[in-house]
Amino acid sequence: MKNKKMILAALVFSIGAWLGGQEEITIRIREGMPMIPVALPDFQVTGMAQPNDEINRMIHETLWKDLEFSRVFKLVPREHYAYISRFNPNAINFKDWASIQANILISGQLEMAADERIIFSFKIYEVNSTRFIFGRNYGGKKDLARMIAHKAADEMMKHFGEKPLFTSKIVYVSEMGNDRDIYIMDYDGLRPTRITFSNALDMLPSWSANNEKILYTSYRNLTPELFMFDMYSGKTELLSSGGSNYAADWSPVADQIVFTSSKNGNAEIYRKDMKTGKEKQLTFNPAIDTSPCWSPSGREIAFTSQRNGTPQIYVMDSEGSNIRRITMEGSYHDSAAWSPDGMRLAFVSRIENRFDIYIFNLKSNEISKLTENAGRNENPSWSPDGRHLVFSSNRSGRYQIYLVDYDGRNVRRITSGGENKMPKWQRVPR
Amino acid sequence: MKKFLFVLLTLSLILMFTACGKKAVKVAPAQEPVEKVEEPVTQVEKPMLSEEEIFQQKTIEDLNKDQIMKKINFDFDKYEVREDMKPILQANADWMLKFPTVNVLVEGHCDERGTIEYNIALGEKRAEAAKNYLASLGVKAANIKIVSYGKSKPLVNGVDEATYFENRRAEFVITKK
Repeated sequence: MKNKKMILAALVFSIGAWLGGQEEITIRIREGMPMIPVALPDFQVTGMAQPNDEINRMIHETLWKDLEFSRVFKLVPREHYAYISRFNPNAINFKDWASIQANILISGQLEMAADERIIFSFKIYEVNSTRFIFGRNYGGKKDLARMIAHKAADEMMKHFGEKPLFTSKIVYVSEMGNDRDIYIMDYDGLRPTRITFSNALDMLPSWSANNEKILYTSYRNLTPELFMFDMYSGKTELLSSGGSNYAADWSPVADQIVFTSSKNGNAEIYRKDMKTGKEKQLTFNPAIDTSPCWSPSGREIAFTSQRNGTPQIYVMDSEGSNIRRITMEGSYHDSAAWSPDGMRLAFVSRIENRFDIYIFNLKSNEISKLTENAGRNENPSWSPDGRHLVFSSNRSGRYQIYLVDYDGRNVRRITSGGENKMPKWQRVPR
Repeated sequence: MKKFLFVLLTLSLILMFTACGKKAVKVAPAQEPVEKVEEPVTQVEKPMLSEEEIFQQKTIEDLNKDQIMKKINFDFDKYEVREDMKPILQANADWMLKFPTVNVLVEGHCDERGTIEYNIALGEKRAEAAKNYLASLGVKAANIKIVSYGKSKPLVNGVDEATYFENRRAEFVITKK
């Protein structure tokens, strides 16, 4: 009944939004929708090889954590399974699962082949209608077990009309000892892989639109310059020349990047066509202009400018015209990140000696605070589905990487050891 | 022979005296006079190296280690050269004018109370301001290169204003002499 009310409310609001021409309200209601209760009983393990409990548990746990993280699904507590008869994938007693409030039931099967390969199959049932909804089979080497679970979770998201995010990666800077290099990791902080091996400072990495390339800034030739690393060929290319060049962001819709350069003497924002190599200067101001970030449509660019005395967030169109100021209060803002729905800008604000992340709603002009008075919180970046953000913070001493939901809930640290910072989430998982 | 007897007598007397002494009240031994040891000081004067000789003899690394070119500090969030830092820049400029073959790299740095991206720009502005000031004093601009490290390379660690002040700086690194 409660659900029906919510849907009705959503419908009314949707119509209102449609009449008012404001999509944003629909989105907010969607975010407030009740989460779908899912049951994920233990998998059935088959195969000739020795049953590998570790792999079995790894897939189950990863899938469980992904769904729990989603804010779309919620897991029926495991303790409740004890009140009903043991799950039998061949004769499912849907009434039992309905009795513990499960709407969706995931039946998983893990097959261990002799050659270290695994096949994971899952079937999704709707409990109330006792209907089979969809299923998938994934095969792969056993060290890809986590990826297999993430793929299954992404399929769940897609099937329920949501954007996949669990197979997405985060690129970041890790400092171990004196080395500071670029790494990538899964969204949950696991499986880190080192990308650069220089003795100089490597920093501010970001993804190309197709996730095949990583742009970053390196001091390997003494001054900060832009480099592009190709994930598949392993080749690195120098993109800039002259002055300091940094903070590159790849357009989500075209082969173009924006970045900060002082090649003409002052920090200005430039756009570069990656096909022709042609560059266009977008800002012309004796003050500092930096930290450009494309809107999801590729039509606008958010950036930081000190043209009115202190660093503030501005937005211009992608040709450099129509510049307007976004942040009106406070004395220090930087690192704007555009949400995937194009409605919100996350950015860093300095108040006294702290940095906190705020979210500015471009339609309602409302500002909400995402992080609360805990050290310096920097470099926000949105998840592909816009429900989460990744950022770095020194709240526990040295800088580490954290995830947080769009409403400030569920803050969790995903890195440890050394210092880890400047995270950038892929816009779309591959 | 006489001498021998005299010595013997004296020795026995001493023995007697010490033997008696054991029974008698302890007598403090007489203090030996302090002998003064002296050595004439050789008046050698180290020849003072002239600025030119220091410049000729020392390597670039040593010149940098000795901080021949002194660093300057900046105000919070600012990149204008402070009045009290101008004499330091004057001295740096004088030195560079004396040795016109010298090339320097001006490194701009920031304290940790800025974001990474903005601090790179701010540090560059600081290095630029220092460079422009040196150039205004007659130093060839072509001999001065700049780089900004933002907040990547703090000089000291800490969370007080003194620390932040130390870290908001422009350093002058000699790259060629």
